[in-house]
Amino acid sequence: MITTHSLTKRFGAATAVDNLTFEVPPGLVTGFLGPNGSGKSTTMRMIMGLDYPDSGSALIGGKPYNELAWPLREVGGLLDAKAFHPARTARNHLRWLALTNDIPLRRVDEVLDQVGLTSVANRRAGKFSLGMSQRLGIAATILGDPGVLLFDEPVNGLDPEGIRWVRHFLRGLAAEGRTVFVSSHLISEMSLTADRLVVIGRGRLIAETSVSDFVHRSGGGAVRLVTPDTVPFTSALTAIGARVSDGDGGSLTVEGTTTQRIGDLAARDGLRVYELTPITASLEDAFMELTKDAVEYRPSVMAGAAASGGKE
Amino acid sequence: MSQAVLEAPTGHYRVNQVIKSEIVKMVTLRSTAIMVGLTAAFGLLVTGLVTNAALHHNQGWYAGFDPTANSLTGLIVAGLTGGVFGALLITGEYSSGTIRASLSATPGRTVLLAAKIAVATAATVIFCEVLSFASFFLGTGILSGGGAPSAGLGSPGALRAVIMTGLFIALMTIMSFGFGLIVRNAAGAIASFVGVVFVLPLVMHAISESGVRYLPTNILANSIMTTVNQGQGNIQPLSPAVGLLVMAIYAAAAVSAGAVLFVRRDA
Repeated sequence: MITTHSLTKRFGAATAVDNLTFEVPPGLVTGFLGPNGSGKSTTMRMIMGLDYPDSGSALIGGKPYNELAWPLREVGGLLDAKAFHPARTARNHLRWLALTNDIPLRRVDEVLDQVGLTSVANRRAGKFSLGMSQRLGIAATILGDPGVLLFDEPVNGLDPEGIRWVRHFLRGLAAEGRTVFVSSHLISEMSLTADRLVVIGRGRLIAETSVSDFVHRSGGGAVRLVTPDTVPFTSALTAIGARVSDGDGGSLTVEGTTTQRIGDLAARDGLRVYELTPITASLEDAFMELTKDAVEYRPSVMAGAAASGGKE
Repeated sequence: MSQAVLEAPTGHYRVNQVIKSEIVKMVTLRSTAIMVGLTAAFGLLVTGLVTNAALHHNQGWYAGFDPTANSLTGLIVAGLTGGVFGALLITGEYSSGTIRASLSATPGRTVLLAAKIAVATAATVIFCEVLSFASFFLGTGILSGGGAPSAGLGSPGALRAVIMTGLFIALMTIMSFGFGLIVRNAAGAIASFVGVVFVLPLVMHAISESGVRYLPTNILANSIMTTVNQGQGNIQPLSPAVGLLVMAIYAAAAVSAGAVLFVRRDA
């Protein structure tokens, strides 16, 4: 369990993390979403005791990171894919890490095997591709078999197979009852990996909820209706209090009612229905909607690009 | 993998775990072996060349000749590479990002630093003492073999000079480690070291002749390596003990300033 309370961090005049309170429960993958520059990495660094908060606290199982008895046996953190010396071999990198926490050295070969780096264990890590570096970073997080794991953008630079592997890996860790906290700006990836979301923008908490709630809360519930009887349908729908607007391809977008009520209306008035589809907002749409005021770096011409699903 | 495959030992991590890991860190970098090899090779080469050049002169040339100091000349090379080694020991962690892995594993910053300094000091003292003795035996061997005035460990002041030279170079290495801790990047730390050790003497000569004897290079050359008083006019060099103490104070000051920053700053 990770908990932050009123966590605040300023860099000069800029407030990177602003009064952030949330919790990350065990047994689930909690996604940490936010636009670039929204304070995700800074928050994770404070949880790991690398940066000091200006006020507030970040605790792991009720303790600040620097009071953990055997940190690597309690927390595994991947904040930076290249946090190793390029001239040291993968095995030697894990060896020195293991020694710091009295972790048996057999674990080094076990975790190398788990991430699929056994065949390159004695190669200098500086020669690794980004994907291999990420795997080495992930191997380091599970070295001490910790109950709490943090990953900052773990799928960055991975190929589709690697992304899939990380997704299964994270879900597996959570299924074993561990606390898994993973940041990403890849929203579609989060919708596949995470159970819960902590969403921040400009360092402030925007939402802390389940993935389905998050999608539902922001703009779910509209219905796409295709009918040749546009005019009578519109007046019938308006009469029951629904809002009707023109959708794409000659369809109507109906808000404020359900597919069931629209079907009943059609039967009652003898109106033809060619298509009746509930529109679920994607996680990406929901994210854009909620963070539209909180994007730090937005080019002035980007409004349109953002609406059509720009990644940032 | 399932939860709690590993039984955590009782208690918590301490400096001895960190020392073990710092030793592995040091010996698993090829640059460590390369530096040790190059320093030894060039240091002994310099001693060989300098002592060889002191052979076959007339009697008058040897007035004031100090065979011990002459045989330790190669340690100057260790002074330079030691500065680079000390700086890289910590700045390498910053440039590679390893420092974040180190602090995640052992977040107690004073513990991490104490372990690092202990390992670095032990390694450099051992290496520099070995090189100092090797240089002395090589140099005095060449001198006596060539019929020039020579010295043995039993000669007055010789053993003291050999031991102190090794310690002095180790302290210079630790001072450079302190610079690395302060500026956190290799170029800046090495530039600071070269500035203090090699450039500051030039400036000091212009400002205050009597201040020159407090600078590391002058302490090394005139107080530590020598068995014959190198005083000029009424400016006497520091005594060997005071000289070593002054260098220890420099190293301690650089490391203390670095340690305060290391504990306070975000990693």
